Amino acid sequence: MIAVAIIVFREVLEASLIVSIVLAASKGTPRRGLWVTGGIALGVLGACIVAGFAAEIAQAVAGMGQELFNAAILFAAVGMLGWHNVWMGRHGKEMAMEASALGREVAAGARPLYALASVVGIAVLREGSETVLFLYGLAAAGSGGLVNLVGGGAIGIAGGAIVGAGLYLGLLRIPSRYLFSVTSWMILLLAAGLASQGAFFLNQADVLPALGNQIWDTSWLLSEDSVPGRVLHVLIGYVARPEGIQLVFWAATVIILLALMRWFSTAPTRAVTRAAVIISLVSAGVVLAQAAHADFTIHPPIVEYQEFEVEHNGSYTFDPNPANKHNETGTLELGYGVLPWWGTEVEFAWSRAANDPPRRLDEINWENTFELTDQGAYWLDPGIFAEIGKSARVGNSDHFEIGPTLQKEWGNTVHVLNLLLAHGFGPNNDTKSVDFNYAWQSLWTLRQEFKPGFEIFGDAGELDRIRGIRDQQLRAGPVVYGKVGLGSALGELKYGIGYLFGLTHATEKGALKWNLEWEKVF
Amino acid sequence: MDRRSGAIVLILGLFLAVGGPARADDPQFTLVIKEHRFEPPELQVPAGVKLRLLVKNEDPTPEEFESTELHREKVVPPGQQILVIVGPLDAGTYPFFGDFHHDTAQGKLIAK
Repeated sequence: MIAVAIIVFREVLEASLIVSIVLAASKGTPRRGLWVTGGIALGVLGACIVAGFAAEIAQAVAGMGQELFNAAILFAAVGMLGWHNVWMGRHGKEMAMEASALGREVAAGARPLYALASVVGIAVLREGSETVLFLYGLAAAGSGGLVNLVGGGAIGIAGGAIVGAGLYLGLLRIPSRYLFSVTSWMILLLAAGLASQGAFFLNQADVLPALGNQIWDTSWLLSEDSVPGRVLHVLIGYVARPEGIQLVFWAATVIILLALMRWFSTAPTRAVTRAAVIISLVSAGVVLAQAAHADFTIHPPIVEYQEFEVEHNGSYTFDPNPANKHNETGTLELGYGVLPWWGTEVEFAWSRAANDPPRRLDEINWENTFELTDQGAYWLDPGIFAEIGKSARVGNSDHFEIGPTLQKEWGNTVHVLNLLLAHGFGPNNDTKSVDFNYAWQSLWTLRQEFKPGFEIFGDAGELDRIRGIRDQQLRAGPVVYGKVGLGSALGELKYGIGYLFGLTHATEKGALKWNLEWEKVF
Repeated sequence: MDRRSGAIVLILGLFLAVGGPARADDPQFTLVIKEHRFEPPELQVPAGVKLRLLVKNEDPTPEEFESTELHREKVVPPGQQILVIVGPLDAGTYPFFGDFHHDTAQGKLIAK
């Protein structure tokens, strides 16, 4: 009986949490009880039908019917939740401003409760159909008898309902004026989690690439099979071993819904929206390489508005192996701070390999830095770096590169972290994989002219098959940067020089790197 | 946020558009569910390629083939078989289980 109860509890729990969020979000709306009860009832009916046609669904669409059905209803739920939040963003304020209680009630009555009710229905259908199949299986096998079945089922359903009721009562303790914003955030995260599950099924149906089987593994910390793990799975879409595509869908859902909520909103909530965008972009960045051109450049999240710059970066390697003995790379970049939060650069990158002496142009890259918040406005300065590269060599692939760039100033030290994902494309691209590379810089501002510090550059390789650290590229070493003013008419000159030690056997022994830059505000 | 988010959504969209399509001529393996156990309980498969796993349920009760490591969960109705596409896998061990009979239905893929 306990074994039955546990399995039923696990399935019921998810649906029950979703029902609680919907109930809390629709607090004070007339007839919400009717809608939610209707949603649950239709969900139970749907669950029985789906369970009854399990065999037909499984065989449909070349054996991928289950996956496509799950993905379809999950994305339908995401759409409904999104629609509800956009509607509330537009009308929530008007509702609150209605002077009379009657006026408020009339305004609230126009809420798209059918959207929430269908989400409840879908949640019950999804989890319910598995419960029905499981219980039917037990009944068909005649194992343990009716008491086992009914008793275990009842205990499981009651347990799930109790946890849901706990969440609902907890949410009701939130003061009314905050309740709406709390529940709309919960609905946003719920939608993102469901979209990530939808992506999971589309990958299982072989429609979408995984973009990395397991971007991280936190199962040691919080297993998805544990009750807290399952609760977080529903509430925020927690997955202990996420696929890259799940993170992309999660982040894209948050970003798109926030953008829609804001564009249609009458009263935006700026700071919180920004914070959420940053969180989701950072997680998206952690997902989203094959850097064809290693240029050992740090990209800070800072845009110098209206500043024009000419920049050169170079490197020269040292290695006992003749193939890497003296490889040379160089760039010439022209950039401008077009908007306070958008800087753009065109980069010409060339190289000369030890075993292929002519110096040749490799690629032309278009680099962009987006400042997400004004510098110093928050604890951390976040930005996005994005690059599109066109290969100039015959037979090489073009590429995208994107990811978060984060900067933290601490006293007179500055620290920058870049997490970049690169993806090849174009007629000569022969890999579908995404490459992950990362860079860290810490500088100590002794004087503007002399800032010593260190840098780390790593390339984990293709996310689909991350190799051991020995086979990844990793370099670290000391650097010095500085700048000298030439007067307001002439702008300023910046320099940088460093030596990076190769830390793995896949990296050359050492590389000298340098940087020269002239900047002027126009 | 304003135009920033627009630009960023566009870039993410570009990334989403560049995905890889699927292939169908991949190696195939069969797993049989019998008396709530997987046969064979350990399956050797090649690493680095996509695989087609046929899971046949010979029991009169439904089962759900599930694996957190493989990112797969799929109901197998009684007397039916389902297709699960997995990989390309790194070399390693990937446990799977029957969600309706945890205590007996346990198995693993060993990718080499």
